[in-house]
Amino acid sequence: MGGLVAMHVSRRFGGLSALSDFSLKVGMGELVGLIGPNGAGKTTAFNVITGVYPPSAGQIFLDGRRIDGQSVEWINRGGIARTFQNIRLFGSLSVLDNVTVGFSRSGELGLTKTLLRAPRFYREHDKTTARGMALLETLGLADSAGMVARNLPYGDQRRLEIARALATGPKILLLDEPAAGMNPQEKVELMKLIRFIRDQFHVGIWLIEHDMKLVMSICERITVLDHGETIAVGTPEEVQNNPEVIEAYLGEPV
Amino acid sequence: MSPKRSDQLPPPAQSSSPSAGAAGRTDARAPEHHDPAPSRWPGLSSLKANAWVPLAIVLLVPLAAFVESDVVGRYNARIVTLIGYNVILAVSLQLINGVSGQFSLGHVGFMAVGAYLAAYPAKTYANNFADPAAVLLFYLALGVVVGIMGAVLYGLLRLAGLFKRVHRSLPGVALLVLIIWFAVDISRAASATDAGLAVPKWCVWSHGMGGLQDLFDAIQAHGASAAAAISGHLPAAIAGPVCFIVLLIGAGCCAAGAGFVVGLPALRLRGDYLAIATLGMAEIIRISIMNSRPLGGALGLTGIPRYTNLVWLYGCVVLTVLFVWRVTYSARGRVIMAVREDEIAASAVGINTTRQKVTAFVFGAFFAGVAGALFALNEYSITPTRFTLDRSIEVVVMVTLGGLGSITGAVLAAIVLTILPEALRSVAEYRMIIYSSLLIVIMLARPQGLMGTRELPSPKALFGRWWGSRKGVTA
Repeated sequence: MGGLVAMHVSRRFGGLSALSDFSLKVGMGELVGLIGPNGAGKTTAFNVITGVYPPSAGQIFLDGRRIDGQSVEWINRGGIARTFQNIRLFGSLSVLDNVTVGFSRSGELGLTKTLLRAPRFYREHDKTTARGMALLETLGLADSAGMVARNLPYGDQRRLEIARALATGPKILLLDEPAAGMNPQEKVELMKLIRFIRDQFHVGIWLIEHDMKLVMSICERITVLDHGETIAVGTPEEVQNNPEVIEAYLGEPV
Repeated sequence: MSPKRSDQLPPPAQSSSPSAGAAGRTDARAPEHHDPAPSRWPGLSSLKANAWVPLAIVLLVPLAAFVESDVVGRYNARIVTLIGYNVILAVSLQLINGVSGQFSLGHVGFMAVGAYLAAYPAKTYANNFADPAAVLLFYLALGVVVGIMGAVLYGLLRLAGLFKRVHRSLPGVALLVLIIWFAVDISRAASATDAGLAVPKWCVWSHGMGGLQDLFDAIQAHGASAAAAISGHLPAAIAGPVCFIVLLIGAGCCAAGAGFVVGLPALRLRGDYLAIATLGMAEIIRISIMNSRPLGGALGLTGIPRYTNLVWLYGCVVLTVLFVWRVTYSARGRVIMAVREDEIAASAVGINTTRQKVTAFVFGAFFAGVAGALFALNEYSITPTRFTLDRSIEVVVMVTLGGLGSITGAVLAAIVLTILPEALRSVAEYRMIIYSSLLIVIMLARPQGLMGTRELPSPKALFGRWWGSRKGVTA
């Protein structure tokens, strides 16, 4: 079974049930959305899947391998990468370094290699740099590679976060409100970018978004959360016409 | 915009699978059409200041020998010595405070560990630097004893971990401790030799520690003749330097071990809390030494044989700077800095943040230990009062004044802040007032420190103009 599968996942914080009986499937190359009013448990769902919080109940699989209860870095290496709602870049590192950090695996970090600086060290360095530049170019950030990340314009910061997530070689990419704070023009570009990433990198994308137009137009399937409960799953049309969803967003029907 | 570039791209389809393994992924996304000179791109590791190393050795070491030969006078030579210690301490603390961003106030604790664990074997076992094997044996015995202690503790912790939650595991741990307690007691009671001891029989820790002490003594006693034989084979001219190097590395490793033990729990804390934890740790080390009879207690260790001279000292300075530089400006340094910038994001890109923080801490502690060993083997006597909080703060000031994250800054600040109080001696009682005012002025004028996060450019970049280099200056 390929892709990310969550089965009956719950997460409680003390008495509060932030997420209950949450099930999900994101296959490779799929675009799946997660929506819901504020405080519905969307980011909690992300945090549980990426290992920030272990689930209180339920199971999570990636390509058939069980991943729940593992550490954040383990899950990332397994193939799930994410961005954050409030951008979390490595602010004082360069744009390029932000991306190349994602390439780092233990083989590259050997102490003797680092200290002796044999030609191989420089070869690997050049290779990493070239890969980083290629990735930045793909996302249209190559021109600002040498800039300090925190000086990037807002939209570029969002894009750099996606680039960094892609650098870790994910199978599934989780985007937490990628369009937050963007103007309509930027949102159109973002939509193109998300589709482009899905096609180019063959990743499954699972995104949280508040912008309905964006979600409805790019997602193939949508899950709707309210108070931690899944109230609807389906295609954008099905979800849009679901009375429970309308109620959750607009309040009780009169 | 980016999507338009799709036609120029290599198909990255296979590359996005992390299970392909690091080797398979290495050049998966590197496109063929790319410019084959990637190092002109800006990035951390494009800072290659390697050419400074031969330059430093060529200049610094003969200079040290010159100063050592007493041409400049004892007083000036003394200042140069102090600069040497301070550069090592500041640069190694830069790795912890600046690069990994973990604010430590306990650097001098590691220096104390290094100083005492170099002074003690140098005095007791080294036979005036003629017996390196005996010193090595000391460190091995220490390692074995500490290893056993650590293994037992680790086992207990792992067992506690099996119970998932601490409060639930407490009964299990208590039971285990009781079992060990009884087992040790029964075996000790069975051996007749203990019969006359005044130590209460039920005290498991005294017996446990006593057992380890016995083990240590036994290793020393059994190994002494073999060590002497091995050392006897070494030519006298080599035995001295070998013994000294063994002492430096051994003391460094002891400090690194202390750094590991302290860092593993302490690095879970952040900011102020970590600073206080490390401060407390340094005090624990100092007070333990003060109450340790073999280490001389409050009176300190005296009659330590001297071996350090300025050539050795500045050799170590060059090695320390080289080590820290290479660790900082490499893939590993980039990862450590990423942890400094944002721990949550760092773990989300697959970095084991605890491991990277502890690594930086252990490396820093190692060099603090080396500095301590150099110090102890230069001063004839050391006391715990040499390793108080003031000393830690002095080093922290150097690192901060130099610029957090800049190795050049740490070196510069160590030099300036060692010379400054001495240069101000002529104004006697106003000395410390002027010194502290100057510190405030410097920090007001340059809040990011003397160097900020910048470093000395490579010699080629600095002098490329005059060398008529045709290539890019940063190469």
